[in-house]
Amino acid sequence: MSQPATRLRLAAAAEPDVAPDLGGLLLRVARGDEAAFGAVFDELGASVYGLARRVIRDPARAEEVSQEVFMQIWQSAVRFDPARGSAKSWVLTLAHRRAVDAVRHDQAATNRENKYDWSNGPDFDEVAETVTISLEHEQVRRCMERLTELQHEAVNLAYYNGYTYAEVAEALGANHATVKTRMRDGLVRLRDCMGVEA
Amino acid sequence: MTTVDLHSMIAPYALNALDSQERARFDIHLQQCAHCRVELAGFHATAARLGDVSSQAPPAELRDRLMTAVASALQERPAVVALTQSSRIRRTLPRLAMAAAFLVGTVGVGGFVVERGQAGDERAVTMAITSVLAAPDADTKSKSFKEGGNVRLITSASRDSAVIFANDMPGLEDGKVYQVWMIKGSSPTSQGTFKTRGTTIMKGLTDVDRVAITIEPSGGSKQPTSAPIATLAV
Repeated sequence: MSQPATRLRLAAAAEPDVAPDLGGLLLRVARGDEAAFGAVFDELGASVYGLARRVIRDPARAEEVSQEVFMQIWQSAVRFDPARGSAKSWVLTLAHRRAVDAVRHDQAATNRENKYDWSNGPDFDEVAETVTISLEHEQVRRCMERLTELQHEAVNLAYYNGYTYAEVAEALGANHATVKTRMRDGLVRLRDCMGVEA
Repeated sequence: MTTVDLHSMIAPYALNALDSQERARFDIHLQQCAHCRVELAGFHATAARLGDVSSQAPPAELRDRLMTAVASALQERPAVVALTQSSRIRRTLPRLAMAAAFLVGTVGVGGFVVERGQAGDERAVTMAITSVLAAPDADTKSKSFKEGGNVRLITSASRDSAVIFANDMPGLEDGKVYQVWMIKGSSPTSQGTFKTRGTTIMKGLTDVDRVAITIEPSGGSKQPTSAPIATLAV
């Protein structure tokens, strides 16, 4: 059986001054602007869906959760506070929380044992799917590599597999306080490595 | 849970690695800890970047389904800020600056929800309101209700803004709120909702001839669904 054809595109990061003003779009969404909502989906739909696929694995469930995320964006855009962070951060935080809640609710223990294998790139199982490896992806990968083994695993299991810190502690044979500290140290290192500003 | 324990939860919280009970407890703590909110903002932004590695085009039907769904889906509305009030404006001015309670997305008994877009700039909103109240061309219209309560609209052409105060409004049954509308010609634009009292500032009065209040289902309506209980000329 032949492998599904897959195309990889290397995409340059969008220049900041041509990226759409997501904060402005959310402001309009909160006022009921459906076109603005469509624009938010066009900009962030792939990020939300990709994250859901990654955490939840099951494609149908991931699609369902992605729909729930965007419905939540529509219903509660009024809650976005630009002083507390970027629009993209708000959306992905919401998406991650829903994805994690879904995976804890649904998924059998065996699925959650799968750890992300950085050497192969993302998995996909549809024919002729285009996957964009962006420069942002490369930066995250590079910065993740700078973490210690324990920091890396703590962040990885929590973010990409939806583990609680107690489950991470059990998986890694460490105590709760240590895991929480490693999560903190890992996030601080990532934050500084990527030059993230809230 | 000691304070030290709570602060060690910031990173797990940002990674959604707390169980639902811990998350709920930490949500409450967040409301009281400005330092935590600041640190969390950075961690959330960092965690959001972790999502970059997994971008994947969604199925085409997803967008279509969403656009169909939002055409009929209700939204949470920006609601009206409540500030403590005094009948004497001069005494009120410094008190307004201290009494403003701005919580985005939280509806309290008095309807304390901030007008979206003003959320990050409490001082600016307070100053804008006091500027209208203190303007030399400030013009006041008011209406009292026989069941109790009153509404006051202060308009200033020089500030191109109007402030509305609603106070001690008659209680509504569950599932109903008061909604404030700014009306240009025959087109109303929602300015927010409240339960018993509220204040909001409306900016940009070109072609606006009146402000109205209607009673709507909780969460507000896209357009008024009943006759106004109060209409005040701008």
